[in-house]
Amino acid sequence: MKRSPEPMDRRAFAERLIKGLVVLGVAVASVIAALFVTPRRVREKITVRVPVCDVRDLPGRGVRAYPVAFPRGETTIERNVFLVQSETELFCLSPVCTHLGCLVSWHWSRERFLCPCHGGQYDMEGNVVAGPPPAPLTRLPLFTENGWIYVGVKV
Amino acid sequence: MGWLFDRSDRFFGLKKPHRRVFHRPLPEGVNYFFCLGGIAFTLFLLLFATGFMLAIYYVPSEADAYRSIVHLHREVRLGTFVRSLHKWSAHLFIVAIVLHSVRVFVYKAYRHPRELNWIVGVLTLVVALASGFTGYLLPWDQKAYWATQVGTAMAGEVPGVGSALMLMLRGGVDVSGATLTRFYAVHVVGLPLIMCLLLWIHFHLVKQQGVKGGL
Repeated sequence: MKRSPEPMDRRAFAERLIKGLVVLGVAVASVIAALFVTPRRVREKITVRVPVCDVRDLPGRGVRAYPVAFPRGETTIERNVFLVQSETELFCLSPVCTHLGCLVSWHWSRERFLCPCHGGQYDMEGNVVAGPPPAPLTRLPLFTENGWIYVGVKV
Repeated sequence: MGWLFDRSDRFFGLKKPHRRVFHRPLPEGVNYFFCLGGIAFTLFLLLFATGFMLAIYYVPSEADAYRSIVHLHREVRLGTFVRSLHKWSAHLFIVAIVLHSVRVFVYKAYRHPRELNWIVGVLTLVVALASGFTGYLLPWDQKAYWATQVGTAMAGEVPGVGSALMLMLRGGVDVSGATLTRFYAVHVVGLPLIMCLLLWIHFHLVKQQGVKGGL
């Protein structure tokens, strides 16, 4: 039997054992805590059709905000969507800023969508004109059924 | 990590006063019954950690409290485990404190100069019992409701101030949502804070006065 050069005394062994057990305990507790706080079931987002307006109420030219309401869990979310009639097409823009998710509003006088949070600006087409947004405003799918306009919203 | 700790400890100076934790001299006649206080403290740490975790999912409202407990059991990973750990630690915490008190009593460690630490220890037991009483209501089931109904009614029997005391405890004439929220606040913030303060005094005095040896 070959002995190590400095044999460990009882006290040093006990000290290492206690420190090791503390580290082990913290590690196990961290795993338990991480599992505990992670939600087990995360629901898929689904697209729902939300009625917007009568076909006859569409904007002739330009941007108009329409209030829509849709359920999410037990609450009802109310927000605006923007219908834009450009020279060539009609499309719907989501009001959610692509920077960090605040809601933009359309300012007629400046002909821009302005985000109140960090100064993001978009033009009528939803393209970024100024500020931090990394992408243009999201276009939401439009449907027409029995003379009504519907928009597809991810909930 | 150790390097980082040593670097910052040049400013904090935490290491030096605690270096002797592993080298503290112990008197003759110490045995495993002297571990009961440490066991109680370990249980307190467990209660603190699991209690914090439970507070993440618990909703202290009349309508949602019980539902949030059911949700914890059915939907949360290890939810039943963490809640059971909290419950059993709470039971054993009281047991450990009582056994620790018996040990201190038998070894005459409550006598001068340690009389103040005995008093602090008794206050610790009182705070632990109060935590048990307030925590018992939080599941908001039949057992919780009626236990609190009876417990607060007992406070109502105190001569003179009884009815005022009962109103203070219940936050109204009956045990209601008002009782639930105040018990929650006391259980989750108030009592743990007081407990931490008491334990700090308790351990500081043990450090100052040393452990009383055998009989």
